[in-house]
Amino acid sequence: MFRKTVLQEGVTLYVRNTKQFKTINLSIKFKSDLNVDKNANRAVLANVMQDSNAVYRSQSEFQRALDTLYGTVYYTDVSKRGDVHILSVNTECVNDEYLKEQGVFEEVLNLMRVVLFEPNFENGSFAEDVVQREKRVVKERIRSVYDDKTRYAQKRMLELMRPDQPASISAYGNESAVDQISAESLTNAYNDMLASDEVDIYVVGDINEDELIQKISSLIGLKARTIDRAVEEVSAPDVKEVRNVREKQEMKQGKLQVGYQTPITFTHPDFIKMQVANGVLGGFAHSKLFMNVREKESMAYYVNSAYAAHYGIIYVLAGIDAELEEKAVKLIEEQLEAMRNGEISDLEITQTVALLSNSIRSSFDSAKGQIEVFDQYKQLDEHFNADNLISKWATVTKEDVTKMASNIKMELVYLLSGREATE
Amino acid sequence: MMEKITFENLQETLYHEKLENGLDVYVLPKRGFSKTYVTFTTKYGSIDSVFVPRGKEEMVRVPDGIAHFLEHKMFEKEEGDVFQKFGENGASANAFTSYTRTSYLFSTTEKLYDNTKVLLDFVQQPYFTEQTVEKEKGIIGQEITMYEDNPDWRLYLGTIQNLYKQHPIHIDILGTYESIDKITADHLYECYETFYHPSNMVFFAIGAVDPEEMIEFVKKDQSAKTFSEPEEVVRDKHEEPSEAGIPAKTINMDVTKPKFSYGMKCDRTNLSGDELLRQELAVSLAMDILFGRSSDFYSKAYAEGWIDESYGYEFNLEKSFGFAVINSDTEHMDELEQLIKTTIQSTAGNWSISDEDLERARKKRIGQLMRSLNSIEYIANQFTHYLFNDMNLFDILPVLEQLDGNDLKEAFGTIADPKSHTVFKITPAGQAK
Repeated sequence: MFRKTVLQEGVTLYVRNTKQFKTINLSIKFKSDLNVDKNANRAVLANVMQDSNAVYRSQSEFQRALDTLYGTVYYTDVSKRGDVHILSVNTECVNDEYLKEQGVFEEVLNLMRVVLFEPNFENGSFAEDVVQREKRVVKERIRSVYDDKTRYAQKRMLELMRPDQPASISAYGNESAVDQISAESLTNAYNDMLASDEVDIYVVGDINEDELIQKISSLIGLKARTIDRAVEEVSAPDVKEVRNVREKQEMKQGKLQVGYQTPITFTHPDFIKMQVANGVLGGFAHSKLFMNVREKESMAYYVNSAYAAHYGIIYVLAGIDAELEEKAVKLIEEQLEAMRNGEISDLEITQTVALLSNSIRSSFDSAKGQIEVFDQYKQLDEHFNADNLISKWATVTKEDVTKMASNIKMELVYLLSGREATE
Repeated sequence: MMEKITFENLQETLYHEKLENGLDVYVLPKRGFSKTYVTFTTKYGSIDSVFVPRGKEEMVRVPDGIAHFLEHKMFEKEEGDVFQKFGENGASANAFTSYTRTSYLFSTTEKLYDNTKVLLDFVQQPYFTEQTVEKEKGIIGQEITMYEDNPDWRLYLGTIQNLYKQHPIHIDILGTYESIDKITADHLYECYETFYHPSNMVFFAIGAVDPEEMIEFVKKDQSAKTFSEPEEVVRDKHEEPSEAGIPAKTINMDVTKPKFSYGMKCDRTNLSGDELLRQELAVSLAMDILFGRSSDFYSKAYAEGWIDESYGYEFNLEKSFGFAVINSDTEHMDELEQLIKTTIQSTAGNWSISDEDLERARKKRIGQLMRSLNSIEYIANQFTHYLFNDMNLFDILPVLEQLDGNDLKEAFGTIADPKSHTVFKITPAGQAK
């Protein structure tokens, strides 16, 4: 679906020409290994690169220039996938065809060159006041997870299950790692990123592919680099018995997180089957969890399962009355046990495959979706497209799903709840 | 007869037909899209709890939260859960209730007409029993609890509740534990019969869809069903004084950083159609200029650390209510409040928005609109929202192009009176006064 051009060793351009959208999307992804200090530096770096540059020295100047380019969106973000850290520089502008003036995309391309190669330096490094300000902003972002109880419960579950491992390390690092950052360390992180990261550049929109490939390769002059990334080894702890952890805050609802381990990871040949198994369990509104825990028992408004394939983790999350924890866990485990015993109807498989297919096709209806899904799946198949994946889901049988369910083992029950509820 | 409306600048063509039973059917094909998104929406939301039931003469009041409760219960039928049917046909279904509408929807990449049939049938065949109604109270109770634990939602709702004294927008869409407990199957039937008549509804299909075929399909389906005569629903008039109900309020929650919100009530909401659209866009542009990321306000507040990444602002306007909200997490509530007030007062008192600012804001909004038109979900939901207020989503572009400085000045005046403003704060547990 994307036309691939290797610009340099380790620097690859993926272009997709389509009339589907009224805008052109460009995303440049810098990929490196995960560790707390590096993540922290890159989180702050992303903010600093979004703030200003050598041409537009302040955020407001920069923002005014973007607004004038018909509300061109420009933002950076950091994320992680498996044991890879990703800093993305993203932009989206309106295709000239829809505007009364021409040349907007040309200017935006040029802006991207500025953003990448002409940082807001003072005496060879990032401006100290900007660095200090953005350190504070990133620290506040890290801290704010506490205020979103659902996210917080999920974070705690991962920390308890896989302490200090990629599964639980934040793409923003942590507060003390952010504290250690100086203008100098940030400048080093920036230079290191440009020199040695794996770089994937994506462009989606109504463009002339040949012209664009020419332009990007002359604008974005990154040198060749050797990418030597070890294949991730996921090691799950040996579970003798299920851990139960309860924590309390001032809140009303109980946030239940049940963590399971599975040896079937993203690169495992059975990955496709496990996606279907997770869908049967709790991915959708026809799934066992929704039908039995919500509709039949009316215990929860939300109850679903998620498959963190890169980490070999499946987890169930539900918002419940904290006093009903035991009953909820029992009901959840009963759904899995039913699957292990082969109590799966043909209808459940049909529905799940149909909805997985719908969801991947739907995600291709946005440029961002095309970029993100392809970027993930190209690791499995360079020629990835939705139809390939859908045809594989279609071959998954009831027996496969039964077998997958026996490869899901409970590890942790975590409940975050209000202080009054049980004390 | 089917009408075809072309918006050349946007390269979009919209197809419309009003059916005999009063149902408005709209179809917008989008090239290159693999999915189709279909919504079926009634002009009935949480603020419609006082009305004259169909076939009666007197106004009645039903328990708060009933429109949302009804939305939940539409999915359960005698033969089981509607999600099962959609799932079987590969469609992802959902619904939502807002202050003014209830929308049922699905998206699919296969079996479009099978799914459309499921949608039309489940929304047009109510099935409520005392038993299924009772069962739902546990689920919605958990939904209410979930929102109560969400500080950002509490901040938003708290601001609206401060602003509005009488208008039912100050009541939570979900209702309360007490109000939903009073809901019966009879209530649901009464509301259903009144508000779910096709003449009070809009059907919108967008994406991979053939307009003639779809309109024909819906027409056939509707003519095979029997409906009573179209009748205008008589709803309560929503009176509201211009000053804010509560000028300031603080609650505490288990958060790490205080949350601050500044609300501004609009005193010109008795509008519809083109006037309403102009008013909405003019206030929004003024807000962009004064409080957007390129504003002097933003530079100052961000540099001082008075706002952070949670900062946001918005303006909402419908017939009968309108308000602007500015919010951020902050350790500097007083400084932030003062800066917002100064910005508003100096603008209102001594109009200082330049033509250059206006042009830039206009361009930004045009770009934003173009970006939004990539999303079929956005188009379907916003089109219906605008339609219910007698506006057309696709008129935004021409109206944006016409607005001048005087329009902005006049429009901003409708939210600038300090007496119609409020402040809502959430402080970390233990700190509230």
